[in-house]
Amino acid sequence: MEDVIRGFVLLMEVQNLLLIFGGVLVGVLVGALPGLSSPMAIALLMPFTISLDPVASISMMAALYCAGTFGGSITAILINAPGAPPAVATALDGYQMAKNGEPGRALGLAAVSSVLGGIFAIVIFLFATPLLADIALKFGPVEYFGLSVFALSMLAAMSGKSSIRNLVAGALGVFVSTIGVHLATGVERYDFGVQELTEGIKFVPVLIGLFAMSELLTQSKTLNAAVERMSARALRLPTFAELKSLKGTILRSSGLGTFIGILPAEGSTVAAMMGYNEAKRFSKTPEKFGTGCAEGIVGPEAANNAAAGGAMVPTLALGIPGSGTTALILAALVMHGFRPGPYLITETPHLVYAIFGAMLFANFAFLGIGLAGARFFSYVTFIPKRFLWPSVFIFSLIGSYAYSSAIFDVWVMLISGIIGYFALRNGFSPAPFVMGLILGKMVEETFTQSMVIYESNFMNFFDSGVFILFMVLTVISLSTPFWGQIRSKFKPKPVE
Amino acid sequence: MSEEKKTFDFAPRTLGAGFIHKKDLVLAIILVAFGAFMYYEAGKFPEAPAILGDTLNADVFPKMLITILFILVAIIPFEFKITPAKIAKIDKDRGDRTLPITWFTIVLLLVIVSFAEFLGAVVTMFITCLALPLLWGERNYIAVAIYSVVFPGFVYLLFNKLLGLYFNPGILELLK
Repeated sequence: MEDVIRGFVLLMEVQNLLLIFGGVLVGVLVGALPGLSSPMAIALLMPFTISLDPVASISMMAALYCAGTFGGSITAILINAPGAPPAVATALDGYQMAKNGEPGRALGLAAVSSVLGGIFAIVIFLFATPLLADIALKFGPVEYFGLSVFALSMLAAMSGKSSIRNLVAGALGVFVSTIGVHLATGVERYDFGVQELTEGIKFVPVLIGLFAMSELLTQSKTLNAAVERMSARALRLPTFAELKSLKGTILRSSGLGTFIGILPAEGSTVAAMMGYNEAKRFSKTPEKFGTGCAEGIVGPEAANNAAAGGAMVPTLALGIPGSGTTALILAALVMHGFRPGPYLITETPHLVYAIFGAMLFANFAFLGIGLAGARFFSYVTFIPKRFLWPSVFIFSLIGSYAYSSAIFDVWVMLISGIIGYFALRNGFSPAPFVMGLILGKMVEETFTQSMVIYESNFMNFFDSGVFILFMVLTVISLSTPFWGQIRSKFKPKPVE
Repeated sequence: MSEEKKTFDFAPRTLGAGFIHKKDLVLAIILVAFGAFMYYEAGKFPEAPAILGDTLNADVFPKMLITILFILVAIIPFEFKITPAKIAKIDKDRGDRTLPITWFTIVLLLVIVSFAEFLGAVVTMFITCLALPLLWGERNYIAVAIYSVVFPGFVYLLFNKLLGLYFNPGILELLK
């Protein structure tokens, strides 16, 4: 209890509140702007937070994450251009409702269901994080190795264009993390005589390159894309009666979203799509989906925001990111000298509760900011790309340079961006690579420690029941994406 | 008849020539070549002292990863057989050639970064704000001029003056 109070007291400092509020504002803004995203904003902000109080900067990022998820829905509803991938499902009915002359109602439903989904997940987060951390404290290196392999295998099921490519990207990310001095032996690996590479590839420039630069190059193809905006007048919150009629959908989606968020590597996009599908499946009027139906908005909105909260649970309790954005928050924790994983809650519990508080605050703040500023946020989509993206490049340039005042990092950022652009064209997503890069050190470290403990015999790893469990889960998660295909192959074809 | 021809042409282009996907094969070859080079490089790492044992050698983990990578990459050219809809989507995205504007943007960014240290932060920002919108076809020269002065000025004030971030003066130092 003392830690909870300490965390909240920390949050109540004016500077911290302002930073969190700023995080919400930036989150809604980048969420609303198609092309910009919360992972990109976090990657760009990360180097500038080094000099800030760690609790404040991590809380700001957590607030930005929550708000960014909602921000994407504003443009999804008003201009049918989801600002962020999780808002794609919201656009299906949100835009239709706006077209039917009720943009204000659509925004109100999206905002309130987002907040309710977010709060639901935060409550789970508050109770689940210490519990999970308690379990994880009993883990040895071999169990941790099993867990991180399972987390990487979840990349197969992560939203993206191809499961195999997600796994390849994840493996490449882990591989890149091996560059630099090998801690166990002191051997320099893959430095090719470049002094800067002996320290390894730094997260921040790679993250900026992959999220910001590759998107800049993608945007260079669509400079003349026109958008049509709905008038966002008559914003209104849903009535109590309306909310009561939607309570089943909101609760179901919140639970589903939180669960999906907690699963390593799964994120808001999967949650939103599943939230939409489940809302339709349980609906008494499924035929109305796609025509501007309220359940089609609250289903994905509650789920995607709940997933954002849920994704923080494995990130903080296990040190395993629950999504691409939380992978960045994990990188920020490491950058600020924290030990993500079960020790975070035993050594710095106030930080965990401060993050919890920041997310709670963010949920209420974006309700106000999002609704009051919806019209403004829909206008920001009209900032010409010819001016918006050069600005992003400048922030990328400064962000990657500021991290360690080395032009080498700027090159890393740019090259990562160029590779990222061509990788994206070929169906590779940046998030699995980032997850691999961030988990890489832990995978190698725990593997090496386990080999030492089990006298260099991998088969002895199976002495641990928890390791066996994670291996079974790994096999299941690797095969999940192909179940549908296999099932359809063996399904008897209808006789013509 | 024409409809039939369209259908006939569509399949090989999107899904590669029957058994193997050509574009994905090229992609797999690139990844395998990268992996093979890294595997070869790992073989050159010095061995750990005997007291630490074989499994602690610096090449063990990278070699293991590259082997996993090879297995995964081997599936890529045949992925269109397993998940045809997903690969068709990827094919649609990469079907369009990279536009000249994207290539020019890449070249411009490489040039900017090459000279960034010499030019210094402020001049680099100014040139970026001037050159990138013009390259991307912005013809409102007044807006570009205002943007190229105001935005770097704002960034300089915010990060250098307010947040105390070091900005390399570069070429501006010569003017002092």
